Amino acid sequence: MAVSGKPISSPVPEAWYPTLSAFMLVIGLMITASFFIYETTSSKRSRSLAKELTTGAVASVFLGFGSLFLLLVCGVYV
Amino acid sequence: MEAMLRLRLALGFLLLAHLLLLAGSSSHPSQDLQIINAERRIDLTSHIVRVYLTLKVENTGTSQASEILLAFPPTQVDHLALVKAAVVVGKRKKKSYSPLDVKPTEVPEAPNETKYFSVSLINPLNAGESVSLEVLYILTHSLEPFPSEISQSESQLVYYHDSAIMLSPYSVKKQMTFIKTPSTKVESFTRVEPTERGNTELKYGPYEDHHPYSFSPIIIHFENNNPFAVVEELTREVEISHWGSIQVTEKYKLAHGGAQHKGVFSRVDYQSKPSISGVSSFKHLLARLPPRVHSVYYRDGIGNISSSHLRTDSRKSELEIQPRYPLFGGWKATFIIGYGLPLQDFLFESPDGKRYLNFTFGCPLLDTVVDKLTIKVVLPEGSKGPSAMVLFWWNST
Repeated sequence: MAVSGKPISSPVPEAWYPTLSAFMLVIGLMITASFFIYETTSSKRSRSLAKELTTGAVASVFLGFGSLFLLLVCGVYV
Repeated sequence: MEAMLRLRLALGFLLLAHLLLLAGSSSHPSQDLQIINAERRIDLTSHIVRVYLTLKVENTGTSQASEILLAFPPTQVDHLALVKAAVVVGKRKKKSYSPLDVKPTEVPEAPNETKYFSVSLINPLNAGESVSLEVLYILTHSLEPFPSEISQSESQLVYYHDSAIMLSPYSVKKQMTFIKTPSTKVESFTRVEPTERGNTELKYGPYEDHHPYSFSPIIIHFENNNPFAVVEELTREVEISHWGSIQVTEKYKLAHGGAQHKGVFSRVDYQSKPSISGVSSFKHLLARLPPRVHSVYYRDGIGNISSSHLRTDSRKSELEIQPRYPLFGGWKATFIIGYGLPLQDFLFESPDGKRYLNFTFGCPLLDTVVDKLTIKVVLPEGSKGPSAMVLFWWNST
């Protein structure tokens, strides 16, 4: 049986992994930092739940992808 | 009405059975084919015995022959590792070989428990025609060390049992056997006239007009110091990750399969007199890996083994490993070799949506015999309906 298919490779080019992981982690950490600053500089009245939730969600998305690519760069092919 | 139907069915069945019996009895091949010329080259240079047969088969019967039988004595069949056949097409300069299907078959009333392999021809052989076949078969564990225990400074001598007359279900008009030994030291060999002995070659033949199933056992006692590397158990684990890599981990249990080592091992003798001491031992092993391999490691229970070299190429990679100690007869070594491969070389998607992993089955170590091989493939999460296929005949029990 001849294998007549096209080769499968990663959806994201492998050469981008280190750059992607670095950028995503940096952006995620910056958004995390802005979340902390917001929490510490706002008072009970001026806090807005929507802003907290969006900042937290965006930060976790970036940190999540960043740590995935970090694992791939280290050779743990998850 | 029902009785009539049943009677008709019974008659029909009887007729069919009769026809089948007739067909079966007339396709017995031994009377139809004859081997005009057989040339056998037995290569005993390594511990794996390779036999190259060149047969010229003629159809002396009246019906077409679509298969040719190869017979093996029952002791050899247990040690057969590979049987390959090809038909020669064209003459002289324009020769080419087309591979043929080889399958084990059962033939009723086989004398002395002979086992058979049937070679299916692409174009059936008509009456009066002849065809040239090239057969390669490989035997493992067929060289018996004698003496079975040697000391460090002795050379290894082995027995090889075979027959001077090729075992065949057809009559053979003319045959010759050439046996190649690794060195010029041959202690003894059975003489079946005419027999000649050259430098490293023994020539048995030519023998004329032998009946089917003639057999003339011979024993050759010769020196063979080539590495008898036997992998007793090998477990290969292949992990597929869709993020771009295939990780292979192989656990080996390596042993020296030659004459057992008796007495002490003197490191001083081994290092100072390498041409006398430890001639039958080996310390290097070569593994051939696919190209573009990365992250190769070689370790055992103690830790990393640094005595290894990796040479990569655009078509292959060669990993030369050196276990922690040289292996003498009966000594064992266990180790793990692991490496990573790029995904696009091995994983393919077919037009109907299924994904195929195209991977080699065997062991990457060159010139070794593997007794027990287990391959495990770890599929990515969410895989459904896995199935496996191998391209050689295997006993599916």
